[in-house]
Amino acid sequence: MTVAGPRVDLDQAEAAAEARAAAVEAEVVEKAKAEAYEAPFKPSPIGWFFRVALAAALVALVLVFPLDRPLSDVRLFSQAAIYAIIGLSLNVLLGYTGQISLGHQAFVGIGSFTSAYLVTVQQWPFAAAVAVAMAVGGLQALVLGGVALRIRGLYFALVTLSYGTVASDSLFGITRFTGGGSGQSAPLPSFAATPHRYYYFCLLVLAVVIWVDYRMMQTKGGRALLALRENPRVASTFGIDVKAYTLFAFVVAGVFAGLGGALLAHKNEVVQAQDYNFQLALIFVIMTVVGGLRSRSGVVIGSAFFALLSSGYLIEKAKVETLFRFLADNTFIPFLSKEVAALVLGPLLLLLTLTLYPGGIGQQIRPIQRWLAGHRFNLHDRGDKEVQISDVRA
Amino acid sequence: MSVLETRGCSIRFGGVQAARDVSIQVGEWEIVGIIGPNGAGKTTTFNIITGFYKPNEGTVWFRGVDVTQMAVEDRTALGMGRTFQNVGLVKGSTVRENLKTAQHLRADYATVAGMLGAPRVFRTEREMAERADILLDILELGDLADTRVAGLPYGVLKRVEVATVLATDPDVLLLDEPSSGMGPEEAHRLGDTLLDLRREFGLSIAMIEHHVPLVVRVCDYVYCLNFGELLAEGKPEEVRNHPEVVRAYLGEDPDELGAA
Repeated sequence: MTVAGPRVDLDQAEAAAEARAAAVEAEVVEKAKAEAYEAPFKPSPIGWFFRVALAAALVALVLVFPLDRPLSDVRLFSQAAIYAIIGLSLNVLLGYTGQISLGHQAFVGIGSFTSAYLVTVQQWPFAAAVAVAMAVGGLQALVLGGVALRIRGLYFALVTLSYGTVASDSLFGITRFTGGGSGQSAPLPSFAATPHRYYYFCLLVLAVVIWVDYRMMQTKGGRALLALRENPRVASTFGIDVKAYTLFAFVVAGVFAGLGGALLAHKNEVVQAQDYNFQLALIFVIMTVVGGLRSRSGVVIGSAFFALLSSGYLIEKAKVETLFRFLADNTFIPFLSKEVAALVLGPLLLLLTLTLYPGGIGQQIRPIQRWLAGHRFNLHDRGDKEVQISDVRA
Repeated sequence: MSVLETRGCSIRFGGVQAARDVSIQVGEWEIVGIIGPNGAGKTTTFNIITGFYKPNEGTVWFRGVDVTQMAVEDRTALGMGRTFQNVGLVKGSTVRENLKTAQHLRADYATVAGMLGAPRVFRTEREMAERADILLDILELGDLADTRVAGLPYGVLKRVEVATVLATDPDVLLLDEPSSGMGPEEAHRLGDTLLDLRREFGLSIAMIEHHVPLVVRVCDYVYCLNFGELLAEGKPEEVRNHPEVVRAYLGEDPDELGAA
């Protein structure tokens, strides 16, 4: 009987494996080179016409559509713009820095009460009150950021959760500051005394926040955050002070949240402590993640969507209220109503985001965005800001 | 005077003595190799030098300054540049973005000014992008500037990492296994690159390396570590043929080995 010799010549096998690896490598590099030398795509005049038309339609939707809407609707649109600011605030922590905040209702609420108290009780001008609300928002976030330097992961999430709950249960219960159960009144500012004007004012503020966020990501602050989220060690060898920039992220988020809170207070014209509960923090987190971490437009759209959903506006307009009522009357989910729609639909959308589209709405609209910016339409464009599930887990 | 020096550095993690009395010198314009089997304490030594670990005993000197207690980012500012065994890059960003991130200390504007868009910010950012492109061209990576790091092959990443460290404007390069993931030809080319960089940038280099031909070719001086202790030091050929070193790598008596 003959013993079969080894089927593999080790030298040959290794050489072959190396050659295969080199081939794959060469392919990737060649592809990148080809892309670098490819003549850039330029849309035709007709292509530009359609792009401009779509952009104009979007702008018109935001600017013109609310003009002839009833006042109650316009208030909700203001809320959508304000939620977008809050979503961007949370995006700084959750998206760029990789820190979670489950107590964002406190961030926002502190801004609301500060501004309302200063305007109503202290008779301060609106602008000064909002500025102080932003400063206070940044300051309280700085304290929480100090905790984040010492505690990480799940434990820090618990700290933020209890921070939010403690703030809404105790801090917002100081009647001198918050006006007790009936709440603190917060009048509309004199230069934007109608809901319509206030809506456009909120849009303007949102535009400024988007600009600041954009500039941050184009300069060293944003790059430092992205680096320290991925790997603090690498960040520090790049000369980035990881602790200082973690605190910086919290302050930026706190200032944005304080601003959003102040605007929210004057939108409602009254601030009540019970509005700033844990449910709100939950919606903030869900809207940011579903919107798409690190995607500015995704977060803005997601936040606006959840603002309109949680206020019942979308449920009403989509005529699904009857369905909801039917379900509530005839099934085992009697709590279903338009008020909790966001808390029912939110987790479903979150699940969808986590399992199928980690980049959320931002990932979905990316092909359209690229097309608008003058590129070829590519449905499978994942872009260079891919979100991984591990990001979302925070 | 040596540019970089550790004097009797020791560090313990619980019961494990990861480094004991390690003294290493890197002179001006020298390329120093650090070799040793797995777990010999090479990367630990690098971590002590760059400041991730504070030694229990001993000191670290950089250009005559005791930097033992200095923070990592401050050492970078002084001129220490370091690469990592498992590639120290921001994987979600493009190659050029990485080089801009590494120029953090060159960005001479306040972070808040950057957020508000002050005019000089744009100028500085443009200069940083230009400098990034120059460095990428030197390392023949110009075509990859706009490619996302996450999709690149390992061997290329190692070169991108070297470009990134150069962007921090170092005097001393600390390279942790720069040739890993490279074939023999690529490793040879890396050797050329290192020699060129030393000449062009006036660098001193310390590198952890397993690839013997590369070490012998480029290093002026070699330290061999084993179980956290210095086993041998000297010229590359001396260390390579040092009986203790052979024993540490092959775990056999050199005489027997010669007989076999």
